[in-house]
Amino acid sequence: MIEAPEIDLAYPLTDGDIAVNNLESARRNSWNRFWRDPLRPGIAESIVEQEQLTAPFVGDMGALDRLDSLVRCLDRVEAESPRTTLIRAQIASMGHRFAEAKRYLDEIGDWGELSEDANRLSLSIDQACGIDLEAALEARRWMAAKSRRLEDLVPLAALHADLREFDEADRIYQCALREYQGTSPFAVAWVCFQLGVLWGELIPEVQSSRAEYWYQKAIEYLPCYVKVRVHLAEVYLRHGRGKEAEALLLTAIPSGDPEVHWRLADVLAQMGRFADAKAQMQTARSGFEALLEKHLLAFADHGAEFYAGSGNDPRRAFELASINLANRPTLRAFEQAYEAAVDAGESERAAKFVAAAEHRWGATNAFRFSQLARTYGDKPASERSTA
Amino acid sequence: MSDHVDGPRQIGEPATDLTDLFAFTSPENPAHTVLAANVFPSAGVTAMFSNAVNHSIVVRRMTVAGTGEDAKFKPSDKEYRFSFRFDVLEHANGDSKPVQRGTCTCPDGQMLPFVVNDEKGVSTADGVFRVFAGLRSDPFNLAWAPAVLKKLPNLLQHDNVLAIVVEFDTRRVLSPSEGSLFGVIAEITPLPGRASPIGVNPPRYDWVGRPEQTNMRLNNPGIQGTDDLRDLWNQQTPFAIAEELKPVFHQKLVESLSNWDLRDGKADWSSGALHAAANVYLDDFLLFDVSKPTSDTSFFEIEKSTLRGKPYATGGGRTVDANVVDIMITWMVNDDKEFMQGGATGATKPGLKVFPYEASPNTELQTVADNVDLAASPDQVWALIGQFGGMWHPLIASVRLTGNGVGQLRTIETIDGKQIIERLEAEDNSQRLYRYTNVSGLGVVDYTGTFDLKPKGSGSSVEWRVQFLADNQATLVVRTIVATLMKTGFEALTKRFGALK
Repeated sequence: MIEAPEIDLAYPLTDGDIAVNNLESARRNSWNRFWRDPLRPGIAESIVEQEQLTAPFVGDMGALDRLDSLVRCLDRVEAESPRTTLIRAQIASMGHRFAEAKRYLDEIGDWGELSEDANRLSLSIDQACGIDLEAALEARRWMAAKSRRLEDLVPLAALHADLREFDEADRIYQCALREYQGTSPFAVAWVCFQLGVLWGELIPEVQSSRAEYWYQKAIEYLPCYVKVRVHLAEVYLRHGRGKEAEALLLTAIPSGDPEVHWRLADVLAQMGRFADAKAQMQTARSGFEALLEKHLLAFADHGAEFYAGSGNDPRRAFELASINLANRPTLRAFEQAYEAAVDAGESERAAKFVAAAEHRWGATNAFRFSQLARTYGDKPASERSTA
Repeated sequence: MSDHVDGPRQIGEPATDLTDLFAFTSPENPAHTVLAANVFPSAGVTAMFSNAVNHSIVVRRMTVAGTGEDAKFKPSDKEYRFSFRFDVLEHANGDSKPVQRGTCTCPDGQMLPFVVNDEKGVSTADGVFRVFAGLRSDPFNLAWAPAVLKKLPNLLQHDNVLAIVVEFDTRRVLSPSEGSLFGVIAEITPLPGRASPIGVNPPRYDWVGRPEQTNMRLNNPGIQGTDDLRDLWNQQTPFAIAEELKPVFHQKLVESLSNWDLRDGKADWSSGALHAAANVYLDDFLLFDVSKPTSDTSFFEIEKSTLRGKPYATGGGRTVDANVVDIMITWMVNDDKEFMQGGATGATKPGLKVFPYEASPNTELQTVADNVDLAASPDQVWALIGQFGGMWHPLIASVRLTGNGVGQLRTIETIDGKQIIERLEAEDNSQRLYRYTNVSGLGVVDYTGTFDLKPKGSGSSVEWRVQFLADNQATLVVRTIVATLMKTGFEALTKRFGALK
């Protein structure tokens, strides 16, 4: 049974096919204008915005590479400016190079007061790294109350989800849908995806039907949304609906996203098509390694998840999860690193992760809901202070 | 820009962002009127219209209800509405280029189906209406930095927009014998929705009357730290701004016009004149009179003459080639004492004298780029590839240089006997960068290549980027040639210096 209220937006959204066509068209055009005149007002910012849409919604793994070339060019023509430095910070953050992004923001601060965009980015980085979440929550609440706009409500909801306040997260995500008055399917599909992840992955007792509902809505609005296809395929896979999962993933193959190949391999294996599954798994492995070679921090957590799962390399999973944890010590990163350490037989490191997580997160409600809290609580008192 | 990207709401969905509105006498037939509205600033060459909204151009008859400091234009209730709706994309078999169809509903209820980008457009059987929708060169010319009033090249150079154009028999549609002065607006509104507990139907996404109401007047870039009223303005009902909000908008317009007046350090406007101008701007529609001629300079003449207490002499309106920003800035800054010419005299392309009047779209340059990371110092690599006449590429049999420094030519003989001539356009050895253009031999125009070398870790990284337009041969062929040149060249460099680990 679907427990979620039916979503039926009162106004139509631009068809996903048209929206993606126009995004691609505008993105290519922006690059063209940029190469003609890299200092044209607003052009570099447009490219960052368009590539930030292209990467998650179209599953275009080349976006980060292209943005690196943008920075490279700006370094040539306008290296010493707050504008270039903010763009560097945005791109570093997109690649999960959070410490580097923070350094750039500090540099901007040396020039004067941070702009609204820079402040928003700083807040996003803190949130992504699990730093001072109470202050981030206060700031997010203030921004969302002031604007009531979807782009402020969604990060607030995501922060509540990070704090394991799932009902509040759900309420705010749905509020974001109600408040939205635009025609872009990207925005609405994004919220639907977040709701799918909330009910399908984040809550302790997963509600698959609810997750499926939201994932399907996201695909309805934006058929090319690769990440959603992968997540929905996982739901189907868990319930033995291999054919449906395969159909979902086959259309996403041209994106080049290795997660598509990984999940397809799982689906094919479940269907007993082991040779095909093996080929897909190899493609997934080489795809992940290629991404990790270029953008290690951006894909460390995904890589760890892959190798901890059917990628079947616990040591690599442990290595990547440790890198991700060092980069962004969120509670989720601690949980992933702990599990990877246990699977890799690194019990001493696992214990240290638990202790460090308790040290950093123990005072929060979120930690009480975590598996790590139970693990920590099970330990003798003498072993609880090894952080 | 005119109405380009004029609110936070527009940024997520450029296809619903109105940029400009035009009204002029048809150059092909003086008995016809042309109305045109553009959406999607900086549209790419494959851009298409949103299927989720109505695109409407709405005309109302006007009367002059006051002159001088009481200047006022009063709209009648009857409206003439041209409404454009677009379908989802159709993907024909084996053709990667999608097709979009649309329908224009004319004021008399006739429905005209058309195909987007069909330059001929489509006419009603009675010949009264003709419509077009599709990609065109952006006719807008903004050659100022508005915040500081510094001249610049046209900021929209080479840009395209999506245009909707309607031409009609003036007498049969507007009955000018009942009054020849009209106001026109364009608006983007939601399609009729369904009842739902989720989602709020906004009244409209965007609308436009006179150019630059939002980006230069309501949100004057020369005034920092004030509230951005553009989204609120965009949701107002055209021809009927909410009474309770009029004082807010009026105050903002007065502040803005006052700021514009002082941009040259001189106050040319009296307080009364500023308030009168703000009142006229508050009634935001583009005025045109079908009994008088429109020209590239007649824009805003109806308003200006009426504010000066004189009868107007032209048809006002706005032609595709009207330099509206310079006209407006001149008026706002010095009350027409001295014409203020921006850094460009026209848009990328002049308008056409034939239907659909807006110029054909600008072609998109093709870009091919590749890079390689090498296990050698930047100095070592640059010593080889930084020479314009260097012989390092395996597909090159010989290079002959003519001249010195920037401007010199290199004549390349390839190993398969072709001759390519290229010109050095810029070089910077301290930055390890040079740029060149192709003169002949590749079947291209507007070809620019750039070599750019940067340190990377313990080695260096080379980027080779080429932009071009294919000339008399398929773009794919040229792309393949260029990509092969890059790949082969980089393989040779990797073999020579080793790949950076």
